[in-house]
Amino acid sequence: MGWDKYVFGALLIAAVTHIACIYAAPRLMMNVAIERVGGESYNSWRLAERVSPASRQIVRPSPDFAYSACAYDLSAGPVTISAAPWSSYWSLSLYAANSDNYYVIDDREAEYGAGLTLIRRGARRPDGAAMIVESPSERGIALIRRLAPSPAEYRAAAETARRDVCASLASLAG
Amino acid sequence: MLRRVLAWAAAALIGVALGVGSAWATLEFGRAGFIEHYGSWAHSRAAGSQAAGPYTRAIIARDGLLALSAREALYFTLYEDEEGRPLDESCVYDLSGPPLAARWWSVTLYDADNYLVRNNDHAGSIDASRIGLDSMWSVRVSPVRGNAPHWLSSRAAGRDFSLTLRVYNPHRDFRASAETLPRLTTLSCAGEA
Repeated sequence: MGWDKYVFGALLIAAVTHIACIYAAPRLMMNVAIERVGGESYNSWRLAERVSPASRQIVRPSPDFAYSACAYDLSAGPVTISAAPWSSYWSLSLYAANSDNYYVIDDREAEYGAGLTLIRRGARRPDGAAMIVESPSERGIALIRRLAPSPAEYRAAAETARRDVCASLASLAG
Repeated sequence: MLRRVLAWAAAALIGVALGVGSAWATLEFGRAGFIEHYGSWAHSRAAGSQAAGPYTRAIIARDGLLALSAREALYFTLYEDEEGRPLDESCVYDLSGPPLAARWWSVTLYDADNYLVRNNDHAGSIDASRIGLDSMWSVRVSPVRGNAPHWLSSRAAGRDFSLTLRVYNPHRDFRASAETLPRLTTLSCAGEA
């Protein structure tokens, strides 16, 4: 009957499927996160509500932080990102579409806040930008964590978060 | 002819099933290679670490999507008591330990579904800003507070809840071990003589 070719075919398909799943898994998970954060508006910060027992979007959330997230999209050119300083621990992290955390800065290194221009890796660097970070992917997530364990601290962090910027340079120029 | 088509369709189906199954198994069992144990605490090196390849990246994304890097924070989770029994709402525990060599830390209690427990005690997390960073500390883990100065509420947590210790900006000399991490002690359980 010659089952060999079918067995070989099944094993070949299994190997390709296996590699495709491993390669796709982090990208799919990040894509879901980017869509959730971005929603209708990319390149803008969204402050998450204070974590409570009703928070059911991300597993094992920390109720001690005020989270601001920006789903960035570099298809229209560079994006400027800034994080206003906070009185306690804070950090700004950048995640690529494959889930890699490729950049992080915290208040020990940026006491007076952080500001950067995000460009696609290999893209032309905009003139006059002081701090440029290259993103490995066109889309990704910027995340600010501000330590705010109490409701009063969360409210203060929310007020501070209003000064954060995540915007396309093209939209600012327009 | 039909027989050959059916044979190829079956081969393709089996191939896809094998591929998906083996990928799932790799991620599920591959995680174990990233888990370190310190006493009863489990620590995944995957959360927040840099990917070295597609397998590592997939495991990291599954275990700690958007987690902080180890330079920023270390995560430890406790699923069992000192006797290896699942954590249970019907028990009263003491969690105590020495000062942690870090800028800040917190302990959060999670339900078996990995979310905060649905109760209105506002005692699901405790942190160094309330306890202090410089001395021995102790927290009661129980469904009611009693006279405990520091309390994590397990009310409505049922069985199989867990505790996650987050250590932020660990100092250079921070070394995780059964001695340096807090210790959980079961004080009593309902129904015990």
